[in-house]
Amino acid sequence: MLAIETSNLTKVYRKKHLTRTALTRGVEGLNLSVDKGEIFGLLGLNGSGKTTTIKLTLGLLRPTSGSVTVFGERAGSTQALRKIGYLPEVPYFYRYLTAKEILSLYARLSGLDNVAERVEHIIDMVGLSQKRDKQLAEFSKGMLQRIGIAQSLLHDPELLIYDEPVSGLDPLAMQEMRTLLLKLKSRGKTIFLSSHLISEVEKICDRVGILVKGNMVRTLEQSQWTSAEGSLESIFISEVADSAETDRMKL
Amino acid sequence: MKNILSIARYTLVENIRNKIFYVLVFFGIIIIAASLLLVALGGEQQIRVLLDFGLAAIEFFALVTVCFAAVNLALEEMQSKTIYLVLTRPVSRAHYLIGRYAGLLAAVYSGMFLMALLHAGLLVFNGFEFNLRYPLALLLSAEKITIIGSVALFFSLFSSSAISSISFTVFFWVLGHFSEEIRYLGNKVTYLVPKIVAKIAYYTIPNLQYFNLRDFWDVPGITGGWIPAAIIYGMLYSVACMTLSLWLFSNKEF
Ligand SMILES: Nc1ncnc2c1ncn2[C@@H]1O[C@H](COP(=O)(O)OP(=O)(O)O)[C@@H](O)[C@H]1O
Ligand SMILES: [Mg+2]
Repeated sequence: MLAIETSNLTKVYRKKHLTRTALTRGVEGLNLSVDKGEIFGLLGLNGSGKTTTIKLTLGLLRPTSGSVTVFGERAGSTQALRKIGYLPEVPYFYRYLTAKEILSLYARLSGLDNVAERVEHIIDMVGLSQKRDKQLAEFSKGMLQRIGIAQSLLHDPELLIYDEPVSGLDPLAMQEMRTLLLKLKSRGKTIFLSSHLISEVEKICDRVGILVKGNMVRTLEQSQWTSAEGSLESIFISEVADSAETDRMKL
Repeated sequence: MKNILSIARYTLVENIRNKIFYVLVFFGIIIIAASLLLVALGGEQQIRVLLDFGLAAIEFFALVTVCFAAVNLALEEMQSKTIYLVLTRPVSRAHYLIGRYAGLLAAVYSGMFLMALLHAGLLVFNGFEFNLRYPLALLLSAEKITIIGSVALFFSLFSSSAISSISFTVFFWVLGHFSEEIRYLGNKVTYLVPKIVAKIAYYTIPNLQYFNLRDFWDVPGITGGWIPAAIIYGMLYSVACMTLSLWLFSNKEF
């Protein structure tokens, strides 16, 4: 069974203004399959539809047409969500709760029984033991990212969906993230991540899908960018350039 | 059920840690305390004045709190996107909304309880003979607050704008105190359109006059069948409103 499968997945955003409705394409006709146990990277420029794809997989957005399933379950169903750990693009947390309180809340919502024990373990794992009783309002960006990682791993999910997990991190934190992802993979987890950083994706992904303006223009296996065909960067640039002939800067 | 309780709990914490909540309770207490001045000035009716004034103040401040908080209950979480990490857990959207609403009510009821404790203390101190009608009056007030909260939540999900939701809610609040007049209008007017408008208004706007026990304080035997009827009516109204809210919310995207 596939971890994630989409078929002709399309999302068109509609924004109602007073007199007219504005339509924006999020993604279009996406056919994607993520195997169990692999690290799959969605690679694309800003606005190419990475976050849209992820939100559709989580059920935060509903497809305009087409479908998406997670381990065979409808995206957004509680059965599907039980198996997912999600790290959003930006850490969206309740600032008035402490580290321990927010993780306990998420642990309870995930249906865990041994909440206190699990929370202590995970706080320790992300190295925030000293800060466990501080309100998140006092946390630095790096610490919030750690809370983000902690909440995604609390319930030991099979599938991790990370939206731009390394963008905006310092080199050390990037290295830590890379180590974490590879360790999770070695434990049999499936990882679905998005990024616009080619160098990062190149290092850790087994497969990469290139998104351009909401379309999946190409899917590549690791061997294809490590072998003769050229680096992932040159493949990516040529794909993007092909689809964007018209609106490039003239240098 | 466990999910609803977890969500209600953090909503309660959120409200209790919110300064606005304290400001309102604080103002309520000030107003109630200030009504002592009225007592000092007033004649024989002083206890009655303190009673009416205090109950009205408690209701008013609870109303302001519930109105703002209910309108922002889901809207704020949608804007700050904190809702992402709740709805991507195995939590149904219905449980989320019910939990949020329950937590808010728990916070507002606690505020009312604090104000009432002070108020009742002042009354008794001034020689008021405590009787069952006092907690009943509060209970009906709380019922009114519950209705208004559910109306505010519905409008917030319907319009997605805090300002228009608050305006609509206040509009319902005011008209809700003129239900009988609206019905009278609906029966008297002969033109078709105003008649239909009045009838629709009468049936959609909650009849808040049912909940003003303090207006009938001295009428003997009034508590009989009327209070349970008012409570059932309030619950049905809130449940109906909540059902519509759940339906709107289940179709939302984030
Ligand atoms: N809520 C929204 N309403 C309207 N358009 C949106 C919304 N979210 C994203 N979009 C549009 O959809 C496209 C894809 O966006 P997104 O999925 O966020 O891209 P990425 O994550 O790759 O940067 C962009 O053109 C963006 O402007
Ligand atoms: Mg994005």
